[in-house]
Amino acid sequence: MKKKKRIILFLLIFVLLMGTCSAGIQIVAKNINGSVSGRSRVFASVSAEKKHTIDLLVAGDSESYTSVSPMDLWDKTGIAAYDCGQPGQRIQETYYVLKTAFRTQSPKMVLLETNTMFRDPGFLKNLQMSLTEPLSYYFPIFKFHNAWKALFDGPGILQNAYKGFEIRNKVVSYEGDEEYMKETKDKTDIPEVVRIYMEKIRNLCRKNGAELVLMSAPSPKNYDYKKHNALEEYAKEKDLPYIDLNLKYRDIGIDWKKDSYDKGDHLNILGARKVTDYMGKYLQDNYGLPDRRGDDGWKDWHELARQYFEELKKKI
Amino acid sequence: MTYESLVYGFVFLPLCLAAYQIVPQRWRRRVLLVFSYLFFWLISRNLIVYLLGTTVFVHCIGIWLEWLKSEQKTELASADRSEKKKIKGIYQQKSRRVLAFGVLALLGILAYLKYYNFFVSNVTGILGNVLPFTLEQKKILMPIGISFYTLQAIGYMADVYWGKIRAEGKLEKTALFLAFFPQIMEGPICRYSDTSDTLYEGRPLNMDNLTSGYIRIFWGLFKKKVIADRLAIAVGMIFSNYTSYSGVVIAAGAIAYTIQLYMEFSGCMDIIIGSGELFGIRLPENFRQPFCAQSAAEFWRRWHISLGTWFKTYIFYPVSMSSPVKKWNQYGRKHLGKYITMLGTSAIALFPVWICNGLWHGARWSYIFYGMYYFTLILLGIAVEPVRDRILNTFHISDQSVWLKFVRIAKTWVIIFAGELFFRADGLRAGISMFRSIFTDFDLNALTDGSLFNLGLGRADMIAIAVGCVVVAVVGSVKERGTDVRKSLFRRPVFVRWALCYALMLAVIVVSAYGDGYQTIDMIYAGF
Repeated sequence: MKKKKRIILFLLIFVLLMGTCSAGIQIVAKNINGSVSGRSRVFASVSAEKKHTIDLLVAGDSESYTSVSPMDLWDKTGIAAYDCGQPGQRIQETYYVLKTAFRTQSPKMVLLETNTMFRDPGFLKNLQMSLTEPLSYYFPIFKFHNAWKALFDGPGILQNAYKGFEIRNKVVSYEGDEEYMKETKDKTDIPEVVRIYMEKIRNLCRKNGAELVLMSAPSPKNYDYKKHNALEEYAKEKDLPYIDLNLKYRDIGIDWKKDSYDKGDHLNILGARKVTDYMGKYLQDNYGLPDRRGDDGWKDWHELARQYFEELKKKI
Repeated sequence: MTYESLVYGFVFLPLCLAAYQIVPQRWRRRVLLVFSYLFFWLISRNLIVYLLGTTVFVHCIGIWLEWLKSEQKTELASADRSEKKKIKGIYQQKSRRVLAFGVLALLGILAYLKYYNFFVSNVTGILGNVLPFTLEQKKILMPIGISFYTLQAIGYMADVYWGKIRAEGKLEKTALFLAFFPQIMEGPICRYSDTSDTLYEGRPLNMDNLTSGYIRIFWGLFKKKVIADRLAIAVGMIFSNYTSYSGVVIAAGAIAYTIQLYMEFSGCMDIIIGSGELFGIRLPENFRQPFCAQSAAEFWRRWHISLGTWFKTYIFYPVSMSSPVKKWNQYGRKHLGKYITMLGTSAIALFPVWICNGLWHGARWSYIFYGMYYFTLILLGIAVEPVRDRILNTFHISDQSVWLKFVRIAKTWVIIFAGELFFRADGLRAGISMFRSIFTDFDLNALTDGSLFNLGLGRADMIAIAVGCVVVAVVGSVKERGTDVRKSLFRRPVFVRWALCYALMLAVIVVSAYGDGYQTIDMIYAGF
């Protein structure tokens, strides 16, 4: 019995130690968020944003942050948006990125790019993700543990990121079939793990008073009508708004010769600006997201927008 | 799922421990078997049929051998003296045939899965134009751990044949012996007598075993994740672009790879042996401070011990005791003298050991070369032994002198580093080219021009490797002096003990090479 008590005490102290280290490392990660690279970067950078300044969170995999440009959206509509997608983001990550963002932000809307909803890396990987993500959320030391390296390697170079968006000006045309959305009644399966986490995401948004909207970004490489059918059915079943931009890419003005970054996989800056324009109008018409351009708390957004348009001028 | 993964540590092991503890003692080995098969299925899926097939086959061969022994006993009991020798001879021949059938069948499967494509590429390369038919390479999937459990299975059958153990009557026990999950991927290659007592006992979990086991697991994680996985970055860069580097960097690469391999393999062994300890199951040690070895032969008594022991028991001794070798001994003593005879006997017995050692690692000429490299060096060591002793006597140098020990250790290090360079190189040709560049392109400027610091590792990574190596070296030297580090830790005051445990756990969590900027590095020996 004495041994058992000792073990419990040992573990309790260890949990406390982990909690303390996590709190410490989170502060470090916020301050040196240039040093935080890779998949953890978005967690550090969204946490480093000024509290309660973001009204729209854009989540998902690389299709999300290559389609919506927060600075263009700010310039045209005054909506304060943030891209918190990751390359190849898995649904578990989507949930915990949003959960992390909700800690310090109170967005009115979450725009979820849907490509991540078809990603299923298999049972073991899902199990691993379902373990590592909550572990890293409650003990950020697991996510930001490499921050200690900044002590010896110095702080990393902070790349220009405009609220999670980077200017990608490369053009590699999409030469395939422009009629890639051929009507069919078939449906692609949405993996079970995605359904489970989507439920958690819905609850999270509901609890935090944010509207969840599904959006499919234009991408001939990733989308077809089978996915559209699956998403439409899912959205109807869960009573979620769903907008498939693959059916509207002509209205948006996407020119696959000029607006593709990598042969129809992602949009480049030209395509992203067109999608942002379209989505800006859509959000203004359908949801009353506030225009923050005149508010004092968002003054630094103007400066960032100035830098963005300056860089844009140089690049396109 | 690998041994260092979170799924193994946080889901698989705790579930297995809980299930093991909940069921009655007599069911515990079944729990271990179920979890072992689950583990194997999760990493190999349908290839589990090879393991299941091997298990049933080996179990039957064991029972067959045991049955022949009991039949022989019965017949001997009713036979008169003149018939006894004949009966023994008949049964020995029968048993030998059964054993040969068992061994050849298992080796046949292993050879087909592991060496078929190697054989085809060499045969078509040499005889391609002469052959009247074409041999095509096949896409063959090899179950993980086959090289390990096949050797265990052969060892089991041989031990039953020699009468060292009785054949296991219960299939579930044979199955657990071959499939026990902590050792199925990387060994250690256990002999039945090594593990059977604690493996089947089903002892209840206890705090001492759990504490001790988890400390060992964390120690293994420290070696693998803090040191080996970092070194893997630089090693990968040097070995895959060796033509771009000078001899100094290549030499550094050989040293780095040797350290990586040791930290990785011995680290995984710590996790494996620690996992066994959680259940009170003792698995044999696979490493004993190999860098303290004073000769190539001693190195192999300290490195991958279970493989060396297996080769010694099932190849070296049987070959040494075989009638052709006995005849050679008789002939040699009469006509060639003691020294040449001893050298010849050693060569005959060592050659199959080292060719098998090379081949066991994989179907590549560089592995065969690696085996032959150690064969040559160990034989050379035996050959020069009398000359060396004479020189030491002439100059009145004590065999135990400290400086001599250091010289020998340094010499052994050079042997090890060179061997590992060929072992890791992408083919024998690349190995030779790299080895040659150490002598032909040894440019010391590489030490100052930054070549060594542009290998994908930052300053922080290098510091982590250096500090990690120092910690491992200190612990190793304490162990070399005969101290059991964990027992010694348990004798310390609780404050010191806990502080050291927390330090180890936090080092693993904070300093390990995982997450952003690092890739998961596969366990090297699981690939063999």
